[in-house]
Amino acid sequence: MKTLLRGLAVLAVAMGWAAGKDITMLNASYDPTRELYQDYNTVFARHWQEKTGDKVTIKQSHAGSGKQARAVIDGLDADVVTLALAYDVDALWERGKLIPQDWQKRLPNNSAPYTSTIVLVVRRGNPKQIKDWDDLVKPGVSVITPNPKTSGGARWNYLAVWGYALKRFGGDEARTRDFVARVFKNVPVLDTGARGATTTFVQRGIGDVLIAWESEALLTIKESSQSEFELVAPSLSILAEPLVTWVDKVVNRRGTQAIAKAYLEYLYSPEGQEIAARHYYRPRLDSVAKKYAATFPKVNLFTIDEVFGGWQKAQKTHFNDGGLFDQIQSANR
Amino acid sequence: MRVVMALLIGAVVGVQPAALNLRAEDTNTVELIKQLQRRIEELEQKVQVLEHGKGPGEGATDAKAKEHLEALDQKVKVLEREKELEQEASEAKAKEAPKVSIGADGFNLSSAKGDFALQLKGVLQVDSRTYFDNPATAGNDGLLLRRARPILQGTVFRDFDFMFVPDFAPTAGPTIFDAYANYRYSPELQFLAGKSKVPFGLEQLMADRDILFNERALATALVPNRDVGFELHGDLLDGRVSYAGGVFNGTSDGANSSNVDFSNDRAFAGRLFFQPFNHTSAAALQGIGFGVAGTYETMSTTNTAGLPSTTGGTLPGYFTDGQQQFFAYNPADKAVVVAAQNHWRLSPQAYYFYGPFGLLGEYAISDQTVRRTVVAPFSSAHLDNTAWEVTASWVLTGEDAAYAGGVIPRRPFNPAEGGWGALQLVGRYAELDIDPAAFPSFADPKTSAHSAAAWSIGLNWYLNRNVEVKTSFSYTTFSGGGGAGTSAPATVTQKPEEVLFTRIQLAF
Repeated sequence: MKTLLRGLAVLAVAMGWAAGKDITMLNASYDPTRELYQDYNTVFARHWQEKTGDKVTIKQSHAGSGKQARAVIDGLDADVVTLALAYDVDALWERGKLIPQDWQKRLPNNSAPYTSTIVLVVRRGNPKQIKDWDDLVKPGVSVITPNPKTSGGARWNYLAVWGYALKRFGGDEARTRDFVARVFKNVPVLDTGARGATTTFVQRGIGDVLIAWESEALLTIKESSQSEFELVAPSLSILAEPLVTWVDKVVNRRGTQAIAKAYLEYLYSPEGQEIAARHYYRPRLDSVAKKYAATFPKVNLFTIDEVFGGWQKAQKTHFNDGGLFDQIQSANR
Repeated sequence: MRVVMALLIGAVVGVQPAALNLRAEDTNTVELIKQLQRRIEELEQKVQVLEHGKGPGEGATDAKAKEHLEALDQKVKVLEREKELEQEASEAKAKEAPKVSIGADGFNLSSAKGDFALQLKGVLQVDSRTYFDNPATAGNDGLLLRRARPILQGTVFRDFDFMFVPDFAPTAGPTIFDAYANYRYSPELQFLAGKSKVPFGLEQLMADRDILFNERALATALVPNRDVGFELHGDLLDGRVSYAGGVFNGTSDGANSSNVDFSNDRAFAGRLFFQPFNHTSAAALQGIGFGVAGTYETMSTTNTAGLPSTTGGTLPGYFTDGQQQFFAYNPADKAVVVAAQNHWRLSPQAYYFYGPFGLLGEYAISDQTVRRTVVAPFSSAHLDNTAWEVTASWVLTGEDAAYAGGVIPRRPFNPAEGGWGALQLVGRYAELDIDPAAFPSFADPKTSAHSAAAWSIGLNWYLNRNVEVKTSFSYTTFSGGGGAGTSAPATVTQKPEEVLFTRIQLAF
């Protein structure tokens, strides 16, 4: 009898195990990654169920990168964050102690599973003949870019312009600053986020050129029905590295450590890299990068570390209150 | 014609810098944009008409005009977009702005997400008590401030609630009734620390503003009121099962604890309550609730504070609806009776609410070990005092009755518009029986009653959600007692107690 009961107990446990669990997870991301993670979540959920039997539902939350970081610090239960820049992820450690200080070392490529860069989008036929950053300072050229104070993407845009000008003027900071000021003098409206700036340019028909994430630019061109827009690759731009990490405090409390880690690691797999490339993010994996080489224009790239000494320094110098961007905007008024 | 067009363009271009200088928040901006759009459309139409008949050399002029138009079009679009962005920003700001509301539920402040909230509420009860046909208690007639309690409650960091309720009505001065913090991990698991109602009595756990009579029934005389302690509680299965259990300082029947207790003894209290049909579609079953509660305490020392609280008389005892003491631990030989060793209580309880009808009942047993001191013999005994009550109510004006939340009038009091509020008829019967073993060693059978039975009837008038007027009559008979004496309980038990209550209540 005891043997029978024991057998039934083992069977019951095994059946329970086999039935799998229902898991929910939240990915707090920035504005332009909606489409990427919609696809990725579906593929990962299928992969995870095949691997473990557990059914996972991944919810997405999208807003400006800095805003998302603040939301997580204020208590948004995000298991993972996939944000536009390291500075915003750093805030989770600095202000919330939600992740360890060395979070960036936990995943390959400094926790940046894909990259992007900053390019220009112009209207069909390029009526203002915009070829490079120099053309953005010409009188009468209307430039669309979001506000670096509120948008992670906009900070990449700003830094791309600054990095280009710094090289063009041989490191002359005064001339560089003047160049960037002239670009922003041509900006008629500052949106709060990258997706909003795209809306301004594409749907509202404002501006001659949009400074945008490469992924956003390629997506915009793909979705324009009659080739209304063209991509212009500048001669030099910045290597933009969106970052990902799991939020230790949240996953430890919710018991989702394993799946959150697996979710992000899977971004580095061939499948994950394929999805990233299909959504116009530059893959890290060589085999996938070669396959999609034709998708991405050839642009000379510099890194934020090379030109600005990293995100912390760039933030403090350019974007903190009273920083260079504020000074430029005050002078432009 | 071209001259006319040029003049029109000039006029538009001439006015637009002034227009653009206007800030988008200017309320005329939208109208201005519309006007500019209309003028652009008119000009475009004119350009098209003119293009059909233009002569040599006129192309350059037209191109310039078109360029002007395009520039103007861009500026209008920028203005429109800025307006959109301002709207988005103001909407976002509104979402992040603190919320303030003032209404029948009190004064509420909360952060945009509700993670932080503060509510100011209050209960004011002004009563009258008039005793009939009992000359010995004629002096008890009077008006009184029964409760004057500001209620401060709120939430910090989403999951931490707090409540602070002092009462300014007691003659002894302001007293803290509730002061606790509650952590909500989930609806199923919450942790409360501080002074709050002990999870035991059904009627006692009703909010003071919702009780159907001025005073709670005799059964509640055996029930602990508020105590300091730690409590785990929660609602399971969408509220079908509620549980609460905790460790407290321990308090006597019908009493609030003091705010400190440095004895080593602790009391345990727990309650399990079921509302199995609260989510069914059958409305007649939804209002069924039943449960059981218990307390247990072992006292290592003896003290009079462990006995029922003193009200009216000078010794611990029990009291009537009219708040007069009808039983006291005062044996004739002047021995001092104290609480000792074990004290436990048990209370099965249930209610049923369906539409305007309500029924509530509970039984309570309080088993207290008592001991004689000062005068020999120093004997002790387990006394099982028991009580029960049944309360029925009917809202004559048809509104729903409920255990929590009271009656909400369909037509609040406003005679000018024919609103008269809601009327509720209430009736109650209750008994409290003292263990016969209490007499004569622990109580004087000539002065204290062996039991009390009270029936009450009343009419409650809910003028609106915040104001209530109630009146009731209570008739209490006693068995035992009734002997000679000039103070309670003898004076109380000599004749049945007949008392008329009124109350004007403001609660928000």
